[in-house]
Amino acid sequence: MKKFKILLTTLICMMLFSQSSYAGSERLILTGSSTVAPLALEIGKRFEQLHAGVRVDVQTGGSTRGVLDARSGTADIGMASRALKGTEQDLTSHLIGMDGISIILHRNNPVKMLSNAQIIAIFTGKIRNWQQVGGENRSITVVNKAEGHSTLELFLHHFSLKNSQIKADVIIGDNQQGIKTVAGNPNAIGYVSIGTAEYEEAQGTAIKRLPMAGIAPTTEQVRLGKFPLSRPLNLITKGKPSSLAQSFIDFARSPAVRDLVEAQFFVAVASQH
Amino acid sequence: MPERMFTLLIWGAALLVTGALLWLLADTVLQGVAHLSWAFIVDAPEHAGRDGGIGPILVSTLCILGVALLVSLPLGLGAAIWLAEFSRQGGFLGQIIRLSLDVLAGVPSIVYGLFGNAFFSLFLGFGFSILSGGLTLACMIIPVFIRSCEAGLSAIDHGWRHGALALGMSRSTAVWYILLPAAAPAIIAGLMLGIGRATAETAALIFTSGYVDRMPESWMDSGRALAVHIYDLSMNVTGGNAAAYASALVLVTLIVLLNVLAQAMTDRWVKRRIFSA
Repeated sequence: MKKFKILLTTLICMMLFSQSSYAGSERLILTGSSTVAPLALEIGKRFEQLHAGVRVDVQTGGSTRGVLDARSGTADIGMASRALKGTEQDLTSHLIGMDGISIILHRNNPVKMLSNAQIIAIFTGKIRNWQQVGGENRSITVVNKAEGHSTLELFLHHFSLKNSQIKADVIIGDNQQGIKTVAGNPNAIGYVSIGTAEYEEAQGTAIKRLPMAGIAPTTEQVRLGKFPLSRPLNLITKGKPSSLAQSFIDFARSPAVRDLVEAQFFVAVASQH
Repeated sequence: MPERMFTLLIWGAALLVTGALLWLLADTVLQGVAHLSWAFIVDAPEHAGRDGGIGPILVSTLCILGVALLVSLPLGLGAAIWLAEFSRQGGFLGQIIRLSLDVLAGVPSIVYGLFGNAFFSLFLGFGFSILSGGLTLACMIIPVFIRSCEAGLSAIDHGWRHGALALGMSRSTAVWYILLPAAAPAIIAGLMLGIGRATAETAALIFTSGYVDRMPESWMDSGRALAVHIYDLSMNVTGGNAAAYASALVLVTLIVLLNVLAQAMTDRWVKRRIFSA
């Protein structure tokens, strides 16, 4: 019993002590897109080094959550891997990078090119065999993203499709999962982030990117703004951000974090001066 | 002939299950061991987890598990004792509680995650914290733990209870010195199930204890659990595979170690109760 009392007292002391220990520090909370989160975490760490006593807490949950949390004030800054929608104009977005989306096939698939109409027909189940688009006589495995991912929204928006129209054989969550699925299935077609696909291809993963409207799916084309299927990576705030949030946003948009953006296989847009 | 078929099928099933498990373990070890080192275990993650280590994440994981066990062990044991020893046999209330526990045990962990986020993080104001995560995990493992302990207590021969009564033992003494030690194997089994489930949990933690991979400084800090880290590395971080495998290897080792520890502690406790009371 005595041991238990000592333990309990220690615990309570620890809690009291720890409560007070961070009362003096400033805390910045970011929530939202799982695509932006690893980047925001790295930017946050560098920001913490420059500003003693500041803590940047990054949480995930998807772009929509980032928007909602920024609006409700649960988060100081939201993260979204898409542009703000018409109904979200009460918020302000701050661009920190770009990401492009590429259609990917298995490396051994002989198909080299697909028109927009063909891609739509494949994803809506009207074309079910690779032979119909100049490939081998194999049935097509359509890999789609799960609801709530901005890649899916961007894809649907670009091809003017509704998610209910897509006849998917496999539903995946994240880019890595999409790449693993397509690399493991010679009949698959999917779509993932270009930077990720570029890296995986260089690592020898069995996938290949298809050009869109004659433009090669490379990070370079995304940077130039030429690639049609691309998305912005945004920080979201409501009203005038606090001075700490503002200085974080300025930092995230500055050339000082360019290497971090590129290390996550995104395209940096930081003003180059 | 049917007899031989039967033998063959039984052997086949056993080999298949063991083989699949061994394959999984071998894959984890082979792919993970190259990236594993002492520095990996103690260092902080860098470069979104591709480089550096998992030190703070390991600490967070243990803290979350600690909170979960600290809450669920006494509550779970208490509830199990009530169900097995104090509730009327076949009584209405007991049946209702058993049914709801079984339903709760089958609820997917993401539902616990959303509940934990809404209740602990937002309603009680714990935010994204080790406390929120631990309490959410406690909610998740308590149903399984209670049912397992209760099964162990109910399986004890009634003669033991009668014997204790005949010796003039009070009910609490009988539970503490006779029944709980006798039910220890089932309690350990429940505990191990709980530890395994809690340590491997992702969905319930991503919205409660969160994503921050800094060394936690208090119970109210957000801390990334090992399973969340593995999920993030393999699904979200391009080029994070090697670190993900090494983390998975650490996770498997951690679960084995915790199970051995739980077994050893319960063994000691049982011996002390039975022989030195």
